[in-house]
Amino acid sequence: MKESLFGRANRAFTTKLLAGVGGLLAAFLSFALSIYQSRTAGEVPRVDPGAVVDAGRWKVAVTSVSVGSQMPDGSRVSPGKKALVVDLVLENRSAESSNLYGDALKIENVPDAAKPLFYLMRDRALLWDVQPMMPEQVKAVWQVRQDQVLPERAKLAVVGEIFKPRDNLYAAPGWFPTRPVAFVDLPLAAAGEAGR
Amino acid sequence: MRRLFPASLMIAIAGAILLFLQSTTPPYAMLTGPIRTSGAQGDTVASRTFSARVDKVVRAKTIAYKRFGKDVERETSGVWLLVAVEARAGSQTMPIRAATIRGASGRLYRQTRRADGAPQLLSAKTVQPGLPTTGLLVFELPEEELADMSLLLSGQYGPQLQDEIVIALDDRKIAVRDRAVLGDDGL
Repeated sequence: MKESLFGRANRAFTTKLLAGVGGLLAAFLSFALSIYQSRTAGEVPRVDPGAVVDAGRWKVAVTSVSVGSQMPDGSRVSPGKKALVVDLVLENRSAESSNLYGDALKIENVPDAAKPLFYLMRDRALLWDVQPMMPEQVKAVWQVRQDQVLPERAKLAVVGEIFKPRDNLYAAPGWFPTRPVAFVDLPLAAAGEAGR
Repeated sequence: MRRLFPASLMIAIAGAILLFLQSTTPPYAMLTGPIRTSGAQGDTVASRTFSARVDKVVRAKTIAYKRFGKDVERETSGVWLLVAVEARAGSQTMPIRAATIRGASGRLYRQTRRADGAPQLLSAKTVQPGLPTTGLLVFELPEEELADMSLLLSGQYGPQLQDEIVIALDDRKIAVRDRAVLGDDGL
């Protein structure tokens, strides 16, 4: 009787010990994995201007950056602002026409930069859908305050998107943003008229 | 040991059945997808809520039209595909906002916004019951997509449990023009 009681207590202790060790091991593993992931995430390649970056849904080739007072469609920038204009070639790699390129390009070293406006150079007008397999010459424009000091070199990030055949909510196919896949460093040219 | 074997066999069978059920479950997007009606070019294809007929298909390198009295000319790196459609609404007024071409590769090309403001665009019209409405659809697509195309029409993009009409376009009935003028009376 005494022996079995002792055995039962011993077994309960072993179970608790095992559960504790297992929990600690799981915590350690997830911690190590997150450290490993954040370490490898830092290795975003730097590409030359004009190089084509494969960002999943989009293929982006940034060619130049300039500052001006005119929008690419010929209209003037709103008073008290100036335009930061990025020339790029944009190609839709997905299977459907899309206008969701607004998140594909980010400027890293200008604070409070909102989403840029995109212009199609073929028409000198606002860009709507980009058709699959049809690369287009495009300008992305950020409007910043006139007195804002801009850095000498613009650092642009091309943000990737991945395709999920089944998303987590509806099991529907879709594209989902990930992290920057490439950085482009460009000198800021002071073009008088960005539209030209 | 004699009890362990049947138990593990049962678990394996149950696992296999569950795996089969999981892999064959139709996705939500398919269950709530569009209700398709298919047909051929030239025929009137009728769904429950609206019907459509493709009258004419033209491909061109350049399109020209007048917008606000100003001449506009649009060029493309691919080709322009212009489709003249007659649409009829069933019992309710409906706009036909969504028009897509499925090209040879299966890629989907939505009607372009680059021709906005051109006369007689179907996307700018509303189809009233009892009043057949003709209109133009303008697409921009690469030349290699111009085979085995089909036209997808619906009230809005991404229809869910709503009608979608699929019309197979006939490659031999596509008129080729260098420059297509979109006038007030269509093509």
